[in-house]
Amino acid sequence: MVVAEIKPFKEIKDTLKHYKKVLIVGCGACVTVCLSGGRKQVELLASALKTSRKVEGDEIMVGEMLIPRQCEPKFVDMIKGEAGKYEVILSMGCGAGVQEIAERIENIPVLPALNTTFIGMADEKGQYLEVCAACGDCILSKTGGICPVARCAKSLINGPCGGSRGGMCEVSKDNPCVWQLIYDRLVKLNMLHLLKGISQPKTRSVHPRRMVREDLTSKK
Amino acid sequence: MSISAMPPCQAACPIHTDVRGYVGAIARGDIEEAIRIIRQVNPFPSVCGRICTRACESACRRGQVDEPIAIASLKRFAADRTKGLKQVLRTGPYYTEKVAIVGGGPSGLTAAHDLTLLGYKVTVFEAHHELGGMMTRGVPEYRLPKSVVKEDIDLILSMGVEAKTGMALGRDITIDELLKDYQAVFLALGSERSVFPKCKGVELPGVITAVEFLKQVSHGQRPYLGKSIVVVGGGHTAIDAARTCIRLGSPDVTLIYRRTVNEMSAGKVEVEEAESEGVKFRYLTAPIEFLGRGKVEKVRCVEMRFVADGSRRRRLVPMENSEFEIKADAVILAIGYNPKTDDIKEIELISGKKGTIVVKDEMGTTNIKGVFAGGDVVSGPMSVIDAIASGKKAADAIHRYLRNLPPREIEEPTVLRPLDEKIVNLIVKTVRQKMPTLPIKERIKSFDEVNLGYSPEQAVTCAQRCLNCGSGASVSEDCVACFNCVMVCPYGVAAPGEEKAHIDISQCQACGICAAECPASAIDVKLETKEASRKKLKDVIKSAKEEAPEDFTIEFYCQYEESEGHPKEKKRAKYSVGKPCMARVDVYQLIHPFEEGSKGVEINKCEHHHECRFKGCDEWIRKHIESAQKILGEIGIDADRLKLITEKKK
Repeated sequence: MVVAEIKPFKEIKDTLKHYKKVLIVGCGACVTVCLSGGRKQVELLASALKTSRKVEGDEIMVGEMLIPRQCEPKFVDMIKGEAGKYEVILSMGCGAGVQEIAERIENIPVLPALNTTFIGMADEKGQYLEVCAACGDCILSKTGGICPVARCAKSLINGPCGGSRGGMCEVSKDNPCVWQLIYDRLVKLNMLHLLKGISQPKTRSVHPRRMVREDLTSKK
Repeated sequence: MSISAMPPCQAACPIHTDVRGYVGAIARGDIEEAIRIIRQVNPFPSVCGRICTRACESACRRGQVDEPIAIASLKRFAADRTKGLKQVLRTGPYYTEKVAIVGGGPSGLTAAHDLTLLGYKVTVFEAHHELGGMMTRGVPEYRLPKSVVKEDIDLILSMGVEAKTGMALGRDITIDELLKDYQAVFLALGSERSVFPKCKGVELPGVITAVEFLKQVSHGQRPYLGKSIVVVGGGHTAIDAARTCIRLGSPDVTLIYRRTVNEMSAGKVEVEEAESEGVKFRYLTAPIEFLGRGKVEKVRCVEMRFVADGSRRRRLVPMENSEFEIKADAVILAIGYNPKTDDIKEIELISGKKGTIVVKDEMGTTNIKGVFAGGDVVSGPMSVIDAIASGKKAADAIHRYLRNLPPREIEEPTVLRPLDEKIVNLIVKTVRQKMPTLPIKERIKSFDEVNLGYSPEQAVTCAQRCLNCGSGASVSEDCVACFNCVMVCPYGVAAPGEEKAHIDISQCQACGICAAECPASAIDVKLETKEASRKKLKDVIKSAKEEAPEDFTIEFYCQYEESEGHPKEKKRAKYSVGKPCMARVDVYQLIHPFEEGSKGVEINKCEHHHECRFKGCDEWIRKHIESAQKILGEIGIDADRLKLITEKKK
């Protein structure tokens, strides 16, 4: 899932300072799961904004909405009517959500309430970990299902740097050395021979990337 | 398991009383709501609160943890404490059809009550001069004061039920006559004819029946039967007779019963009470002959023993050479009752072997059109709640008969499963409140009621022990399967399902932590729904703003707090929001009052109990406060305006 974190409240407040009518739009997908932009967070942020304005002796009209997936144009279209009543939309979706809204609702500015951080997974202990860099050239088949591009501080794809101590990374000592993890897992799988292969340097993707659905786009 | 599954207490009750509902109301201090819930189905709360056989308590899942909730005693509390309450029962307009009820006991009067509410004019014909049946004639006053029965009956009569006493079926009226004036007849004649043991000497003077004896006493007579009394039987009536003898001054009262205390239909508590008053019990003992010259003097008994006979039931046989004699100035027989239906033999009602009326179905339809029967006269002697249940069924059946409605479809309720062992181990143990009683010295000299009833503090403490079975969490379609609930559930009940989280309603303890933590707001807890919770807060804030604009503080307090001091509302500041445990107060509820202009928010965490009722709630309360304080800081509000109050306020 896409992991995102809510921005510092002050930043959100500052971006909204010239507005008096804001519609907060949550997203029912990834950011609900990572507790950043679901229904509950929308309700809480709305209350915090109203309170904060009150403290400043001012007021603000805050609308609350949630759409199942902000990166889906058809869902975004459904809120067009309601959005028309506001001066600004505060999206609690990931970067894709913010942009989808901006794309579909042209006459109202859209601001992000979240910082989209990474593609990650939950670890059951309340942490979300970055595990995929969306490099576009997956090598997980060679690394025991553990990605060195996303999880090595140096994104090394052909073995460790040599700075690992006690299985931990020299750059960030709280993180395990991902090459140690890859090694341990391949030992368990009895597939250490995979490490003898060399991964070729990755071609850096040219942004923006796109994936084309040929069934819908091909000419008749 | 469906979220509408019935708690075991309610399922076990013959009339499916919403036990959880009224116990919960008492726990909140709302006695009027409690009696309202009880009266929805039961016109005899004062009676059932005292002498019910309490199938609910045997089924209570609190019993898996420690001891069941004292459900009957709480019902009594609700009834006793709302005596002055004006209870308006809807009556009229009436249908043109009238209903005659024969028998003014619990079954007949319940039918009268329900039929009146359904819109029928009802007349009750009672053979005796007093209504109440066995409630007034069979149960001694120290267990069920007549005045108490009268309260329940008076309320029924106040609804417009007409009672004609001294009118016996077969003697003063006939079914044919009744059918001329009434469009339906309900026969609830009861079952008051004693069964006699097949022993020699049963005809000797001094051998009497418990029913006759108790009836005399209930009429105010105080017969002294002698020094040594032997009571034969193991039911409530036997024990009632024995304890009555003690009160009438007999110093040597022995109750003999052919089985053991475990098989007695009277509960162990009653046996203990009788023992403490001086009644001696001889189990596995049966009379074989009553001896005496001109009057009974001795009972010859034999000891019994159980032998396995291959089937699951053990057979009871006399032990060889075990005969012995007990001195007896009088013998009271209480071994069973049959209906007394001799006077209506000529009527073409199909009757059973022991004088019972045979009915065609559960609704009490007889072979005569328009005539229904129920209560003990159909079933043989049962408990008062069974009689009430049969009265209710009859009322419904008569209504359907008169209105040409299809018979009610009887559906067996789905019942919550027992608690899993792992959940049982996580529930904080508590102690059942002991019923205050009259000192033994005073008891044995009078017919004053032995059980004095719970004090308000005791009742609330007792009610708060209820596990609110089945009022836990349910997951809506909004679930995004983040499984946050699975991580936070302190009982390990929330589990990942195929498409969304799954919370087993039969095991959920309704702590509300998952609901407070669900990012999709997809979890709701029946005990206090999100809607109810938000409304409560909104209402409190509204009144605060009206009464003290710019100068109010909102306080959340735990409803399980200070269970020994009730009602809380009077002790509290004005703007308080009670919560069934504070862990369900989410961050939004802590921030929102500030939005509405509150000067501060206080979390009054319960300090009374040694341990919080719900596992792990302490930690979640702290976390919610910390998160809220962080937000307040960012908003520019002094975080100290949100306070956790933990010290005792005494």
